[in-house]
Amino acid sequence: MPSHDAKRASAERAGDLNPLAGSAGRRLSRRSVLQGVATAGAAGLAATTLGATVSPAAAAAGPAASTAASQSSPRSGDAAKAASGPLVVHVRDARSGDIEVFSGTSQTRLRDKNLAARIARAAG
Amino acid sequence: MSSHREAPEISKDPVADSTDVYAFVSPDKSDTVTLIANYIPLQLPSGGPNFYEFGDDVLYEIHIDNDGDGRADISYQFRFRTTVRNTGTFLYNTGPIGSLNDPNWNRVQTCDVAVVSDGSFATLGSGLPCPPCNIGPLSTPDYAGLAAAAVNRLGGGISVFAGQRAEAFYVDLGAIFDLGDLRPFANLHAFGQLSPAPGVNATNNLNVNSIALQVPISSVTRSGHPTIGVWTTASRQRVRLWDADSGEDINAGPFRQVSRLGNPLVNEVLIPLGKKDLWNSLPPDDDKQFAVYVTQPGLAALLPVLYPGVFGNLAALVASGAARADLEAILLTGIPSGIVPHFTNFTGSVLADMLRLNTSIPPTKNPNILGVVGGDLAGFPNGRRVTDDVVTIELRAIAGLTYPLVAPTYTPDAAAGEITDGLTPSSVHASPLGQFPYLGVPYSGYDEPS
Repeated sequence: MPSHDAKRASAERAGDLNPLAGSAGRRLSRRSVLQGVATAGAAGLAATTLGATVSPAAAAAGPAASTAASQSSPRSGDAAKAASGPLVVHVRDARSGDIEVFSGTSQTRLRDKNLAARIARAAG
Repeated sequence: MSSHREAPEISKDPVADSTDVYAFVSPDKSDTVTLIANYIPLQLPSGGPNFYEFGDDVLYEIHIDNDGDGRADISYQFRFRTTVRNTGTFLYNTGPIGSLNDPNWNRVQTCDVAVVSDGSFATLGSGLPCPPCNIGPLSTPDYAGLAAAAVNRLGGGISVFAGQRAEAFYVDLGAIFDLGDLRPFANLHAFGQLSPAPGVNATNNLNVNSIALQVPISSVTRSGHPTIGVWTTASRQRVRLWDADSGEDINAGPFRQVSRLGNPLVNEVLIPLGKKDLWNSLPPDDDKQFAVYVTQPGLAALLPVLYPGVFGNLAALVASGAARADLEAILLTGIPSGIVPHFTNFTGSVLADMLRLNTSIPPTKNPNILGVVGGDLAGFPNGRRVTDDVVTIELRAIAGLTYPLVAPTYTPDAAAGEITDGLTPSSVHASPLGQFPYLGVPYSGYDEPS
Protein backbone atom coordinates (compact mmCIF):
# COMPACT_ATOMS: atom_id res chain seq x y z
CA MET A 1 0.00 0.00 0.00
CA PRO A 2 1.55 3.36 -0.95
CA SER A 3 2.38 5.88 1.74
CA HIS A 4 0.49 9.16 1.93
CA ASP A 5 3.33 11.07 0.36
CA ALA A 6 3.72 8.48 -2.34
CA LYS A 7 0.01 8.61 -3.06
CA ARG A 8 0.08 12.38 -3.25
CA ALA A 9 3.09 12.40 -5.55
CA SER A 10 1.44 9.78 -7.67
CA ALA A 11 -1.74 11.79 -7.83
CA GLU A 12 0.17 14.90 -8.84
CA ARG A 13 1.79 13.01 -11.66
CA ALA A 14 -1.63 11.85 -12.73
CA GLY A 15 -2.78 15.44 -12.74
CA ASP A 16 0.05 16.37 -15.04
CA LEU A 17 -0.68 13.50 -17.36
CA ASN A 18 -4.40 13.83 -17.26
CA PRO A 19 -5.98 15.55 -20.24
CA LEU A 20 -9.10 16.06 -18.16
CA ALA A 21 -6.87 17.83 -15.62
CA GLY A 22 -8.62 16.66 -12.52
CA SER A 23 -8.23 17.26 -8.87
CA ALA A 24 -5.20 15.09 -8.56
CA GLY A 25 -2.69 17.90 -8.77
CA ARG A 26 -4.66 20.52 -7.01
CA ARG A 27 -3.50 20.02 -3.46
CA LEU A 28 0.05 21.11 -4.07
CA SER A 29 -1.19 23.98 -6.18
CA ARG A 30 -3.64 25.10 -3.56
CA ARG A 31 -0.95 25.34 -0.94
CA SER A 32 1.26 27.20 -3.36
CA VAL A 33 -1.52 29.57 -4.21
CA LEU A 34 -2.28 30.21 -0.57
CA GLN A 35 1.38 30.92 -0.01
CA GLY A 36 1.25 33.27 -2.96
CA VAL A 37 -1.75 35.08 -1.58
CA ALA A 38 0.09 35.67 1.63
CA THR A 39 3.02 37.27 -0.12
CA ALA A 40 1.30 39.11 -2.94
CA GLY A 41 0.55 42.77 -2.72
CA ALA A 42 -2.98 43.96 -2.24
CA ALA A 43 -3.20 45.64 -5.61
CA GLY A 44 -3.03 43.34 -8.60
CA LEU A 45 -3.40 44.01 -12.28
CA ALA A 46 -4.98 41.55 -14.65
CA ALA A 47 -4.12 41.61 -18.31
CA THR A 48 -5.47 39.27 -20.93
CA THR A 49 -4.19 38.49 -24.34
CA LEU A 50 -5.57 36.30 -27.04
CA GLY A 51 -3.09 34.58 -29.25
CA ALA A 52 0.58 35.10 -28.64
CA THR A 53 0.83 38.78 -27.93
CA VAL A 54 2.39 38.16 -24.54
CA SER A 55 5.05 35.85 -25.84
CA PRO A 56 7.21 38.58 -27.40
CA ALA A 57 7.10 40.51 -24.17
CA ALA A 58 8.11 37.47 -22.22
CA ALA A 59 10.92 36.82 -24.65
CA ALA A 60 12.07 40.39 -24.43
CA ALA A 61 12.36 40.17 -20.70
CA GLY A 62 14.79 37.33 -21.18
CA PRO A 63 15.40 34.34 -18.99
CA ALA A 64 17.93 36.15 -16.82
CA ALA A 65 15.34 38.66 -15.77
CA SER A 66 12.78 36.21 -14.54
CA THR A 67 12.18 33.09 -12.56
CA ALA A 68 9.36 30.74 -13.32
CA ALA A 69 7.68 27.85 -11.59
CA SER A 70 5.08 25.79 -13.34
CA GLN A 71 2.44 24.38 -11.03
CA SER A 72 1.04 21.99 -13.57
CA SER A 73 3.93 20.98 -15.74
CA PRO A 74 2.85 20.71 -19.33
CA ARG A 75 4.09 17.82 -21.36
CA SER A 76 6.58 18.50 -24.10
CA GLY A 77 4.73 19.76 -27.11
CA ASP A 78 2.02 21.33 -25.02
CA ALA A 79 3.76 24.69 -25.10
CA ALA A 80 3.26 25.08 -28.81
CA LYS A 81 -0.32 23.90 -28.51
CA ALA A 82 -0.97 26.27 -25.64
CA ALA A 83 0.48 29.22 -27.51
CA SER A 84 -2.17 28.81 -30.17
CA GLY A 85 -4.95 29.09 -27.58
CA PRO A 86 -5.79 31.80 -25.13
CA LEU A 87 -3.18 32.99 -22.68
CA VAL A 88 -4.32 34.84 -19.61
CA VAL A 89 -1.78 36.82 -17.65
CA HIS A 90 -2.49 37.94 -14.13
CA VAL A 91 -0.10 40.43 -12.62
CA ARG A 92 -0.65 39.80 -8.96
CA ASP A 93 1.76 42.46 -7.83
CA ALA A 94 3.43 44.78 -10.32
CA ARG A 95 5.99 46.02 -7.80
CA SER A 96 7.38 42.60 -7.00
CA GLY A 97 6.85 41.29 -10.53
CA ASP A 98 4.63 38.46 -9.33
CA ILE A 99 2.86 37.17 -12.43
CA GLU A 100 0.68 34.17 -13.18
CA VAL A 101 0.30 32.90 -16.73
CA PHE A 102 -2.59 30.60 -17.51
CA SER A 103 -2.70 28.55 -20.66
CA GLY A 104 -4.69 25.44 -21.40
CA THR A 105 -4.84 23.63 -18.10
CA SER A 106 -1.46 24.85 -16.89
CA GLN A 107 -0.42 27.71 -14.69
CA THR A 108 3.05 29.22 -14.50
CA ARG A 109 4.20 31.56 -11.79
CA LEU A 110 6.77 34.18 -12.82
CA ARG A 111 8.69 36.75 -10.87
CA ASP A 112 9.69 39.35 -13.44
CA LYS A 113 9.63 43.02 -12.51
CA ASN A 114 10.41 44.21 -16.03
CA LEU A 115 7.62 42.23 -17.63
CA ALA A 116 5.18 43.26 -14.93
CA ALA A 117 6.10 46.89 -15.46
CA ARG A 118 5.63 46.60 -19.23
CA ILE A 119 2.22 45.03 -18.83
CA ALA A 120 1.25 47.67 -16.29
CA ARG A 121 2.28 50.41 -18.71
CA ALA A 122 0.35 48.72 -21.52
CA ALA A 123 -2.73 48.65 -19.30
CA GLY A 124 -2.45 52.39 -18.88
CA MET B 1 -31.40 20.55 1.49
CA SER B 2 -28.83 17.85 1.30
CA SER B 3 -26.43 20.17 -0.43
CA HIS B 4 -28.49 22.23 -2.81
CA ARG B 5 -27.37 25.86 -2.85
CA GLU B 6 -25.67 25.18 0.47
CA ALA B 7 -22.84 27.71 0.26
CA PRO B 8 -22.81 31.33 -0.89
CA GLU B 9 -20.47 30.99 -3.86
CA ILE B 10 -21.70 27.70 -5.28
CA SER B 11 -25.30 28.86 -5.04
CA LYS B 12 -24.45 31.22 -7.91
CA ASP B 13 -23.07 28.40 -10.06
CA PRO B 14 -25.82 25.76 -10.41
CA VAL B 15 -24.15 23.58 -13.03
CA ALA B 16 -21.28 22.95 -10.62
CA ASP B 17 -23.46 22.68 -7.52
CA SER B 18 -23.56 19.12 -6.18
CA THR B 19 -26.84 18.28 -4.51
CA ASP B 20 -26.73 14.65 -3.36
CA VAL B 21 -24.47 11.64 -3.36
CA TYR B 22 -25.72 8.09 -3.14
CA ALA B 23 -23.59 4.97 -2.67
CA PHE B 24 -25.04 1.52 -2.19
CA VAL B 25 -24.54 -2.09 -3.08
CA SER B 26 -26.71 -2.52 -6.17
CA PRO B 27 -29.86 -4.32 -5.03
CA ASP B 28 -30.26 -6.18 -8.32
CA LYS B 29 -26.56 -6.80 -8.89
CA SER B 30 -24.95 -7.32 -5.53
CA ASP B 31 -21.41 -7.76 -6.81
CA THR B 32 -21.44 -4.09 -7.83
CA VAL B 33 -21.77 -0.72 -6.15
CA THR B 34 -23.77 2.13 -7.55
CA LEU B 35 -22.45 5.63 -7.06
CA ILE B 36 -24.61 8.63 -7.97
CA ALA B 37 -23.70 12.31 -7.88
CA ASN B 38 -26.45 14.82 -8.57
CA TYR B 39 -25.95 18.36 -9.82
CA ILE B 40 -27.99 21.38 -10.92
CA PRO B 41 -30.54 21.72 -8.13
CA LEU B 42 -34.22 22.54 -8.15
CA GLN B 43 -34.88 22.21 -11.87
CA LEU B 44 -38.32 23.35 -12.88
CA PRO B 45 -39.18 20.77 -15.54
CA SER B 46 -40.74 23.38 -17.84
CA GLY B 47 -37.60 25.54 -17.75
CA GLY B 48 -37.04 25.90 -21.50
CA PRO B 49 -36.22 26.77 -24.15
CA ASN B 50 -32.69 26.26 -22.88
CA PHE B 51 -33.22 23.17 -20.82
CA TYR B 52 -30.79 21.93 -18.21
CA GLU B 53 -27.44 20.43 -19.09
CA PHE B 54 -24.09 19.72 -17.51
CA GLY B 55 -21.40 22.35 -17.83
CA ASP B 56 -18.97 21.75 -20.67
CA ASP B 57 -16.47 23.81 -18.68
CA VAL B 58 -16.86 21.84 -15.45
CA LEU B 59 -14.87 18.78 -14.40
CA TYR B 60 -17.14 16.45 -12.47
CA GLU B 61 -15.62 13.69 -10.36
CA ILE B 62 -16.68 10.84 -8.13
CA HIS B 63 -13.90 9.86 -5.75
CA ILE B 64 -13.25 6.71 -3.79
CA ASP B 65 -10.91 6.34 -0.85
CA ASN B 66 -10.32 2.68 -0.12
CA ASP B 67 -7.59 2.87 2.50
CA GLY B 68 -9.03 5.34 4.97
CA ASP B 69 -6.72 8.29 4.55
CA GLY B 70 -9.39 10.65 3.21
CA ARG B 71 -7.65 10.95 -0.15
CA ALA B 72 -8.84 9.67 -3.46
CA ASP B 73 -7.42 6.34 -4.55
CA ILE B 74 -9.76 6.19 -7.51
CA SER B 75 -11.31 9.20 -9.22
CA TYR B 76 -13.87 8.79 -11.97
CA GLN B 77 -13.94 11.88 -14.13
CA PHE B 78 -16.74 13.16 -16.32
CA ARG B 79 -16.52 15.88 -18.98
CA PHE B 80 -19.31 16.99 -21.24
CA ARG B 81 -19.52 18.32 -24.76
CA THR B 82 -22.52 20.12 -26.20
CA THR B 83 -23.30 20.30 -29.89
CA VAL B 84 -25.90 22.53 -31.51
CA ARG B 85 -27.07 21.00 -34.72
CA ASN B 86 -29.07 23.94 -36.00
CA THR B 87 -28.11 27.40 -34.82
CA GLY B 88 -30.86 28.96 -36.91
CA THR B 89 -33.70 28.05 -34.57
CA PHE B 90 -34.49 28.90 -31.00
CA LEU B 91 -35.90 25.43 -30.43
CA TYR B 92 -34.33 22.72 -28.26
CA ASN B 93 -35.96 20.25 -30.64
CA THR B 94 -37.58 20.75 -34.01
CA GLY B 95 -39.85 17.70 -33.78
CA PRO B 96 -40.36 14.61 -31.67
CA ILE B 97 -37.14 13.12 -30.34
CA GLY B 98 -37.50 9.43 -31.10
CA SER B 99 -33.93 8.33 -30.46
CA LEU B 100 -30.65 9.64 -29.13
CA ASN B 101 -29.44 10.37 -32.67
CA ASP B 102 -32.70 11.87 -33.86
CA PRO B 103 -31.95 14.97 -35.98
CA ASN B 104 -34.95 16.67 -34.39
CA TRP B 105 -32.91 16.97 -31.18
CA ASN B 106 -31.09 20.23 -31.65
CA ARG B 107 -28.88 20.58 -28.60
CA VAL B 108 -27.07 17.35 -27.88
CA GLN B 109 -24.73 16.58 -25.02
CA THR B 110 -22.22 13.75 -24.81
CA CYS B 111 -19.99 12.57 -22.00
CA ASP B 112 -16.36 11.50 -21.74
CA VAL B 113 -15.52 9.23 -18.81
CA ALA B 114 -12.08 8.51 -17.42
CA VAL B 115 -10.52 7.09 -14.30
CA VAL B 116 -7.44 8.18 -12.40
CA SER B 117 -6.03 5.48 -10.17
CA ASP B 118 -2.60 4.84 -8.71
CA GLY B 119 -1.11 7.64 -10.73
CA SER B 120 -2.42 6.50 -14.06
CA PHE B 121 -5.13 7.89 -16.28
CA ALA B 122 -7.39 5.78 -18.45
CA THR B 123 -10.24 6.71 -20.73
CA LEU B 124 -13.30 4.55 -20.12
CA GLY B 125 -15.56 6.02 -22.77
CA SER B 126 -15.77 8.97 -25.15
CA GLY B 127 -18.73 10.63 -26.76
CA LEU B 128 -21.20 8.65 -24.68
CA PRO B 129 -24.74 9.79 -25.34
CA CYS B 130 -26.69 11.67 -22.70
CA PRO B 131 -30.48 11.79 -22.93
CA PRO B 132 -32.36 15.01 -23.63
CA CYS B 133 -34.39 16.62 -20.90
CA ASN B 134 -37.95 15.42 -20.50
CA ILE B 135 -39.80 18.09 -22.47
CA GLY B 136 -43.30 16.71 -22.86
CA PRO B 137 -45.44 14.18 -24.71
CA LEU B 138 -45.01 15.83 -28.12
CA SER B 139 -41.25 16.26 -27.92
CA THR B 140 -40.18 13.24 -25.88
CA PRO B 141 -43.06 10.78 -26.25
CA ASP B 142 -41.08 7.78 -24.99
CA TYR B 143 -38.81 9.42 -22.46
CA ALA B 144 -38.18 6.27 -20.45
CA GLY B 145 -36.99 4.56 -23.59
CA LEU B 146 -34.72 7.44 -24.53
CA ALA B 147 -33.15 7.45 -21.09
CA ALA B 148 -32.72 3.70 -21.06
CA ALA B 149 -30.80 3.96 -24.31
CA ALA B 150 -28.42 6.37 -22.60
CA VAL B 151 -27.29 3.74 -20.10
CA ASN B 152 -23.81 3.07 -21.41
CA ARG B 153 -22.26 -0.34 -20.78
CA LEU B 154 -18.50 0.03 -20.74
CA GLY B 155 -15.77 -2.55 -20.41
CA GLY B 156 -14.90 -4.09 -17.08
CA GLY B 157 -18.50 -4.39 -15.95
CA ILE B 158 -18.95 -0.62 -15.67
CA SER B 159 -22.21 1.15 -16.47
CA VAL B 160 -22.58 4.91 -16.79
CA PHE B 161 -25.55 7.20 -17.12
CA ALA B 162 -25.43 10.98 -17.18
CA GLY B 163 -28.57 13.01 -17.62
CA GLN B 164 -31.73 14.39 -16.12
CA ARG B 165 -33.54 12.45 -13.39
CA ALA B 166 -36.37 13.04 -10.95
CA GLU B 167 -35.25 14.50 -7.65
CA ALA B 168 -35.38 11.70 -5.07
CA PHE B 169 -34.30 13.66 -2.02
CA TYR B 170 -37.24 14.75 0.08
CA VAL B 171 -37.18 17.57 2.58
CA ASP B 172 -39.50 20.24 3.92
CA LEU B 173 -37.37 23.22 3.02
CA GLY B 174 -40.09 25.76 3.46
CA ALA B 175 -40.58 24.87 7.10
CA ILE B 176 -37.00 24.02 8.08
CA PHE B 177 -35.62 27.29 6.80
CA ASP B 178 -38.41 29.16 8.52
CA LEU B 179 -36.59 29.22 11.84
CA GLY B 180 -36.25 25.46 12.10
CA ASP B 181 -39.91 24.65 12.00
CA LEU B 182 -40.87 20.98 11.74
CA ARG B 183 -44.51 21.06 10.68
CA PRO B 184 -45.58 17.93 12.62
CA PHE B 185 -44.32 19.62 15.80
CA ALA B 186 -45.10 23.23 14.89
CA ASN B 187 -47.26 23.69 17.99
CA LEU B 188 -44.16 23.22 20.13
CA HIS B 189 -42.09 25.87 18.34
CA ALA B 190 -41.00 28.82 20.43
CA PHE B 191 -41.76 31.56 17.93
CA GLY B 192 -45.24 30.83 16.72
CA GLN B 193 -48.68 29.54 17.24
CA LEU B 194 -48.78 27.25 14.23
CA SER B 195 -50.80 24.08 14.22
CA PRO B 196 -49.20 20.70 13.60
CA ALA B 197 -49.35 19.72 9.96
CA PRO B 198 -47.91 17.10 7.62
CA GLY B 199 -44.61 17.88 5.98
CA VAL B 200 -44.44 19.44 2.52
CA ASN B 201 -41.84 18.05 0.15
CA ALA B 202 -40.25 21.15 -1.36
CA THR B 203 -38.27 19.17 -3.92
CA ASN B 204 -41.23 17.20 -5.22
CA ASN B 205 -41.87 17.45 -8.97
CA LEU B 206 -38.43 18.92 -9.58
CA ASN B 207 -35.53 17.39 -11.47
CA VAL B 208 -31.76 17.17 -11.13
CA ASN B 209 -28.92 16.10 -13.41
CA SER B 210 -27.38 12.82 -12.33
CA ILE B 211 -24.07 11.15 -12.96
CA ALA B 212 -24.56 7.49 -12.14
CA LEU B 213 -21.85 4.88 -12.16
CA GLN B 214 -22.06 1.17 -11.46
CA VAL B 215 -18.78 -0.65 -10.93
CA PRO B 216 -17.75 -4.06 -9.67
CA ILE B 217 -17.04 -4.03 -5.93
CA SER B 218 -13.79 -5.84 -6.60
CA SER B 219 -12.58 -2.91 -8.70
CA VAL B 220 -12.92 -0.30 -5.97
CA THR B 221 -12.00 -2.14 -2.76
CA ARG B 222 -8.74 -3.43 -1.41
CA SER B 223 -8.42 -6.98 -0.21
CA GLY B 224 -9.58 -7.23 3.37
CA HIS B 225 -10.94 -3.66 3.37
CA PRO B 226 -14.55 -3.74 2.24
CA THR B 227 -15.39 -0.18 3.28
CA ILE B 228 -14.99 2.65 0.80
CA GLY B 229 -15.35 6.39 1.28
CA VAL B 230 -17.19 8.21 -1.50
CA TRP B 231 -17.57 11.85 -2.39
CA THR B 232 -18.06 14.02 -5.44
CA THR B 233 -16.42 17.22 -6.54
CA ALA B 234 -16.87 19.76 -9.30
CA SER B 235 -13.97 21.84 -10.48
CA ARG B 236 -13.50 24.85 -12.70
CA GLN B 237 -10.42 26.24 -14.35
CA ARG B 238 -8.83 29.05 -12.40
CA VAL B 239 -9.57 31.70 -14.99
CA ARG B 240 -12.92 32.36 -16.58
CA LEU B 241 -13.06 35.42 -18.77
CA TRP B 242 -16.08 36.70 -20.63
CA ASP B 243 -14.97 37.35 -24.20
CA ALA B 244 -17.55 39.86 -25.31
CA ASP B 245 -16.35 39.74 -28.90
CA SER B 246 -17.08 36.05 -29.32
CA GLY B 247 -19.91 35.98 -26.83
CA GLU B 248 -18.52 33.12 -24.81
CA ASP B 249 -16.32 32.37 -21.85
CA ILE B 250 -12.62 31.72 -22.15
CA ASN B 251 -11.31 29.22 -19.62
CA ALA B 252 -7.65 28.74 -18.77
CA GLY B 253 -5.44 27.29 -16.10
CA PRO B 254 -5.59 24.24 -13.89
CA PHE B 255 -8.87 23.03 -12.46
CA ARG B 256 -9.77 23.96 -8.89
CA GLN B 257 -12.46 22.42 -6.77
CA VAL B 258 -15.55 24.57 -6.26
CA SER B 259 -18.02 22.02 -4.91
CA ARG B 260 -17.78 18.94 -2.68
CA LEU B 261 -20.28 16.53 -1.20
CA GLY B 262 -19.97 13.33 0.81
CA ASN B 263 -22.44 12.89 3.63
CA PRO B 264 -25.73 14.72 3.21
CA LEU B 265 -26.31 17.96 5.06
CA VAL B 266 -22.77 18.37 6.42
CA ASN B 267 -21.90 21.57 4.60
CA GLU B 268 -25.56 22.54 4.51
CA VAL B 269 -26.34 22.32 8.21
CA LEU B 270 -23.17 21.82 10.22
CA ILE B 271 -20.55 24.06 8.64
CA PRO B 272 -21.04 27.75 9.50
CA LEU B 273 -21.72 30.31 6.81
CA GLY B 274 -18.26 31.82 6.94
CA LYS B 275 -16.58 28.47 6.26
CA LYS B 276 -18.86 26.90 3.66
CA ASP B 277 -17.04 28.14 0.57
CA LEU B 278 -13.71 27.08 2.05
CA TRP B 279 -15.11 23.65 2.87
CA ASN B 280 -16.23 23.26 -0.73
CA SER B 281 -12.71 23.93 -1.97
CA LEU B 282 -10.89 21.37 0.18
CA PRO B 283 -10.40 17.61 0.08
CA PRO B 284 -11.83 15.41 2.86
CA ASP B 285 -8.48 14.82 4.50
CA ASP B 286 -8.43 18.49 5.44
CA ASP B 287 -11.63 18.12 7.45
CA LYS B 288 -9.97 18.01 10.86
CA GLN B 289 -10.26 21.79 10.94
CA PHE B 290 -14.05 21.45 10.62
CA ALA B 291 -14.45 18.65 13.15
CA VAL B 292 -15.62 20.96 15.92
CA TYR B 293 -18.69 21.86 13.87
CA VAL B 294 -19.57 18.17 13.75
CA THR B 295 -18.79 17.29 17.34
CA GLN B 296 -20.41 20.41 18.75
CA PRO B 297 -23.07 21.19 16.18
CA GLY B 298 -24.89 24.47 16.33
CA LEU B 299 -28.19 22.75 15.58
CA ALA B 300 -27.91 20.71 18.80
CA ALA B 301 -27.76 23.96 20.72
CA LEU B 302 -30.63 25.45 18.73
CA LEU B 303 -33.14 22.64 19.15
CA PRO B 304 -33.71 23.24 22.91
CA VAL B 305 -34.16 26.94 22.18
CA LEU B 306 -36.56 26.45 19.28
CA TYR B 307 -38.54 23.78 21.12
CA PRO B 308 -38.47 24.82 24.77
CA GLY B 309 -39.09 22.10 27.28
CA VAL B 310 -38.75 19.36 24.67
CA PHE B 311 -35.01 18.76 24.61
CA GLY B 312 -33.97 19.08 28.25
CA ASN B 313 -31.40 16.29 28.17
CA LEU B 314 -29.93 17.60 24.92
CA ALA B 315 -29.63 21.05 26.45
CA ALA B 316 -27.71 19.62 29.36
CA LEU B 317 -25.47 17.65 27.03
CA VAL B 318 -24.70 20.77 25.02
CA ALA B 319 -24.06 22.75 28.18
CA SER B 320 -21.58 20.13 29.36
CA GLY B 321 -19.40 20.86 26.35
CA ALA B 322 -19.01 17.16 25.64
CA ALA B 323 -17.81 16.39 22.16
CA ARG B 324 -20.30 14.36 20.18
CA ALA B 325 -18.20 11.31 19.44
CA ASP B 326 -21.28 9.66 17.97
CA LEU B 327 -21.56 12.29 15.24
CA GLU B 328 -17.83 12.16 14.65
CA ALA B 329 -18.11 8.42 14.06
CA ILE B 330 -21.17 8.67 11.84
CA LEU B 331 -19.83 11.45 9.64
CA LEU B 332 -16.04 11.65 9.93
CA THR B 333 -14.52 8.23 10.70
CA GLY B 334 -17.21 5.64 10.22
CA ILE B 335 -18.65 3.58 13.06
CA PRO B 336 -16.08 1.32 14.73
CA SER B 337 -16.89 -2.31 15.37
CA GLY B 338 -18.47 -3.16 18.71
CA ILE B 339 -20.83 -0.18 18.77
CA VAL B 340 -23.62 -1.40 16.49
CA PRO B 341 -23.91 -5.20 16.58
CA HIS B 342 -22.55 -6.92 13.47
CA PHE B 343 -21.64 -3.63 11.83
CA THR B 344 -18.73 -1.36 11.12
CA ASN B 345 -17.85 1.10 8.42
CA PHE B 346 -14.87 2.52 10.29
CA THR B 347 -12.07 3.63 8.02
CA GLY B 348 -9.53 4.79 10.58
CA SER B 349 -8.71 7.82 12.66
CA VAL B 350 -8.49 10.34 9.83
CA LEU B 351 -11.37 12.79 10.17
CA ALA B 352 -12.84 13.08 6.71
CA ASP B 353 -16.36 13.69 5.49
CA MET B 354 -16.98 10.78 3.16
CA LEU B 355 -20.02 8.64 2.55
CA ARG B 356 -18.73 5.35 3.91
CA LEU B 357 -20.08 2.14 2.49
CA ASN B 358 -19.22 -1.28 3.85
CA THR B 359 -19.61 -3.25 0.64
CA SER B 360 -19.64 -6.59 2.45
CA ILE B 361 -23.14 -5.89 3.79
CA PRO B 362 -25.67 -7.19 1.27
CA PRO B 363 -28.66 -5.16 0.13
CA THR B 364 -31.83 -5.42 2.20
CA LYS B 365 -34.92 -6.81 0.54
CA ASN B 366 -37.21 -4.60 2.61
CA PRO B 367 -35.23 -1.43 3.32
CA ASN B 368 -35.92 0.63 6.41
CA ILE B 369 -35.71 4.30 5.44
CA LEU B 370 -34.06 5.05 8.79
CA GLY B 371 -31.11 2.86 7.83
CA VAL B 372 -28.78 1.78 10.62
CA VAL B 373 -30.79 3.77 13.18
CA GLY B 374 -33.79 1.67 12.13
CA GLY B 375 -31.84 -1.58 12.32
CA ASP B 376 -31.17 -1.81 8.58
CA LEU B 377 -27.42 -2.09 8.20
CA ALA B 378 -27.55 -1.60 4.42
CA GLY B 379 -28.80 1.98 4.72
CA PHE B 380 -27.43 5.36 5.72
CA PRO B 381 -24.93 6.00 7.22
CA ASN B 382 -23.70 2.80 5.65
CA GLY B 383 -23.63 4.49 2.28
CA ARG B 384 -26.90 6.02 1.22
CA ARG B 385 -29.76 4.57 -0.77
CA VAL B 386 -32.12 6.59 -2.92
CA THR B 387 -35.01 6.34 -0.47
CA ASP B 388 -33.18 6.74 2.83
CA ASP B 389 -34.67 9.44 5.05
CA VAL B 390 -31.40 11.21 5.73
CA VAL B 391 -33.09 14.33 7.07
CA THR B 392 -34.83 12.46 9.87
CA ILE B 393 -31.81 10.26 10.57
CA GLU B 394 -29.50 13.23 10.97
CA LEU B 395 -32.07 15.29 12.88
CA ARG B 396 -32.49 12.50 15.40
CA ALA B 397 -28.78 11.87 15.66
CA ILE B 398 -28.06 15.54 16.30
CA ALA B 399 -30.92 15.60 18.81
CA GLY B 400 -29.05 13.00 20.82
CA LEU B 401 -30.61 9.72 19.78
CA THR B 402 -27.26 8.18 18.86
CA TYR B 403 -25.22 9.58 21.73
CA PRO B 404 -25.79 6.51 23.94
CA LEU B 405 -23.77 4.52 21.42
CA VAL B 406 -20.70 6.18 22.88
CA ALA B 407 -22.09 7.27 26.28
CA PRO B 408 -24.38 4.51 27.55
CA THR B 409 -25.44 6.48 30.63
CA TYR B 410 -26.98 9.25 28.56
CA THR B 411 -30.75 9.14 28.12
CA PRO B 412 -32.00 10.83 24.98
CA ASP B 413 -35.05 13.03 25.15
CA ALA B 414 -38.19 11.24 24.04
CA ALA B 415 -38.47 13.74 21.22
CA ALA B 416 -35.09 12.69 19.84
CA GLY B 417 -36.66 9.48 18.66
CA GLU B 418 -39.71 11.22 17.26
CA ILE B 419 -38.67 14.34 15.42
CA THR B 420 -38.97 14.40 11.67
CA ASP B 421 -39.91 16.83 8.97
CA GLY B 422 -42.83 14.53 8.29
CA LEU B 423 -41.85 13.12 4.91
CA THR B 424 -41.27 9.66 3.48
CA PRO B 425 -40.40 8.30 0.03
CA SER B 426 -44.13 8.45 -0.74
CA SER B 427 -43.70 12.23 -0.67
CA VAL B 428 -41.84 11.88 -3.98
CA HIS B 429 -44.23 11.45 -6.90
CA ALA B 430 -41.73 9.81 -9.24
CA SER B 431 -40.97 6.29 -8.12
CA PRO B 432 -37.37 5.11 -8.20
CA LEU B 433 -36.42 2.51 -10.77
CA GLY B 434 -35.64 -1.05 -9.80
CA GLN B 435 -32.47 -1.04 -11.84
CA PHE B 436 -29.61 1.25 -12.80
CA PRO B 437 -29.65 4.26 -12.67
CA TYR B 438 -32.34 3.80 -9.99
CA LEU B 439 -33.45 7.44 -9.84
CA GLY B 440 -36.91 7.93 -11.32
CA VAL B 441 -37.89 9.19 -14.74
CA PRO B 442 -37.69 12.99 -14.66
CA TYR B 443 -40.88 15.01 -14.56
CA SER B 444 -41.80 16.46 -17.94
CA GLY B 445 -42.09 20.14 -18.60
CA TYR B 446 -45.57 19.59 -19.98
CA ASP B 447 -46.75 18.07 -16.72
CA GLU B 448 -44.87 20.18 -14.19
CA PRO B 449 -45.68 22.58 -12.84
CA SER B 450 -49.27 21.44 -13.05
